[in-house]
Amino acid sequence: MAVIRTEGLVKDYGKVRALAGVDLDVAEGEIFGFVGPNGAGKTTTIRVLLDLLRPTAGRAEVFGVTPVQGGPSLRARIGYLPGELAMSGRRTAGDLLRHLASLRGGAGGNRIGALSERFGLDLNRPIRSLSKGNKQKVGVVQAFMHGPELLILDEPTSGLDPLLQRECLDLMREARDGGATVFMSSHVLGEIEDVAGRVAIIRDGVIVDVDDVGALRSRAGQVVELRFSGRVDIDEFRNLPGVRDVTLDGSTMRCMLHGEPDALLKAAARHRVLAWSAHERELEDLFIDFYRGPSDRRQPEEVTFDGR
Amino acid sequence: MAAETVPVLAGVMREQRRPLVLWGLALTAVSTLYIAIYPTMGIDEMASMVDNLPEALINALNYDEIGTAAGYISSTVYGLLGPALLLIFAIATGTRLVAGQEEDGTLELELTAPVSRTRVLLERVAALWCNVAVLVAVVAVVTIVLAAVLDLDVTVGNVLAASTGLLLLVLGFGTVGLAAGAITGRRAIGLGVAAGLAVLAFMLNAIAPTVEAEWMTIVSPFSWFLDGRPLATGFDLSRLALLATVPVLAVAAAVVGFRRRDLMV
Repeated sequence: MAVIRTEGLVKDYGKVRALAGVDLDVAEGEIFGFVGPNGAGKTTTIRVLLDLLRPTAGRAEVFGVTPVQGGPSLRARIGYLPGELAMSGRRTAGDLLRHLASLRGGAGGNRIGALSERFGLDLNRPIRSLSKGNKQKVGVVQAFMHGPELLILDEPTSGLDPLLQRECLDLMREARDGGATVFMSSHVLGEIEDVAGRVAIIRDGVIVDVDDVGALRSRAGQVVELRFSGRVDIDEFRNLPGVRDVTLDGSTMRCMLHGEPDALLKAAARHRVLAWSAHERELEDLFIDFYRGPSDRRQPEEVTFDGR
Repeated sequence: MAAETVPVLAGVMREQRRPLVLWGLALTAVSTLYIAIYPTMGIDEMASMVDNLPEALINALNYDEIGTAAGYISSTVYGLLGPALLLIFAIATGTRLVAGQEEDGTLELELTAPVSRTRVLLERVAALWCNVAVLVAVVAVVTIVLAAVLDLDVTVGNVLAASTGLLLLVLGFGTVGLAAGAITGRRAIGLGVAAGLAVLAFMLNAIAPTVEAEWMTIVSPFSWFLDGRPLATGFDLSRLALLATVPVLAVAAAVVGFRRRDLMV
């Protein structure tokens, strides 16, 4: 069963279209990564799921009901960590967490102590004296404390030091192992690769790709470098299948390769090859491709230096 | 226990404890100061001072009965300083409790908790009303105690009547501010609407006798509150009922507006 499903989800803020038809399908028990540049629509999508925002068009469902229909009883099944967590006041972190538990009818109140200890959060400090990282700990604790079936986490590890980032990822894995579903947005691609099974990439309010982390990685392609004994003609390589972004620096040719290397190797074999290397691109490079968008994806350097 | 049945209200009341105490002290000081100096002002001096004022000002400040204890307290604590201070508190607090906390993001965790929007709104309105009620009670207690101590000709029943009117007047504008903020999501709009209407209502009541425009007293909640001279005459249920319509209608509008719009944008 889909825990989260959106179909053609559109959200306009006045004349600005924030979501232009988002389709998502998050299955029960998976950790689903949601990545994209700032302003792409991640937080807007998440806020629709929590019924802070109402869709302009299309449909969003969580556990089979729309967020409006689901209301409080739906939100009781969700743990939510906002992307920009705002907290203030003289009350202590413990007071705030107990208050948030009381909003859930007391659910999770008994886990505040253990979770805070795990993250080294001092419950007796006033909220307004807490650093960004400590506030984030409060946010993590309140999202997980009631053992929700669905965790919706907007940039969960931001502000946490590397050790606590790992602790947070562990917490997500434990929740998943306990049967929960995790929907997380992130900028840190390493952690998405680490913890997520599937990833959706959103850009300009539409999902541009959804796939397994592994499959995405293989689609990221390879960077191939070939050093020839003499000059070669760049046009010999430019239009080969699977080859992109060809650059020539003296007798060294660099390009990006997707799929089979056969055509490239055969073209290269017409010359004397002194050295070659091919390495897998990082997932991050793929995301940057997506972030740039189709218009300037091919050779951004050329655009930059056009007027030279 | 209270935290389980009305968690939103309980949360706000905890946050409000400190400002409530400070405002209570300020209102106690101001009320005490004004009422305590009444016996030291000779009636003749007062009358001659009032005679020297322009009639429009006398009307505006309700000074025509300043020679009596009820008239004096009505012109100072209940008709001017009390409403002014309480309105500042109520409008500032009412606009902050929904629109202000929505704008600064601190409402996000409450709105995404398993609590309905209607309930968040109503419990926050209730918190505002409780706060205002406490402060009006402070003014009433100070007045009753000082009237007894100084042997002033003001009955407890009349103080309660005037305090009820003051409470409803302040709840009205405070709730209008909360509602305008809750409907628009902008605290500045709540502040502008509520403060603007309060000043307008005060001005209409003040200038109505001078310009002899009865419609001004018909539309101004300040007139509904003060025209019956509650400190001298006691409870007037029809006027109180009229005053009560303002906060009730404001809450209804706030619920409708808050339920249907996008939050946190």
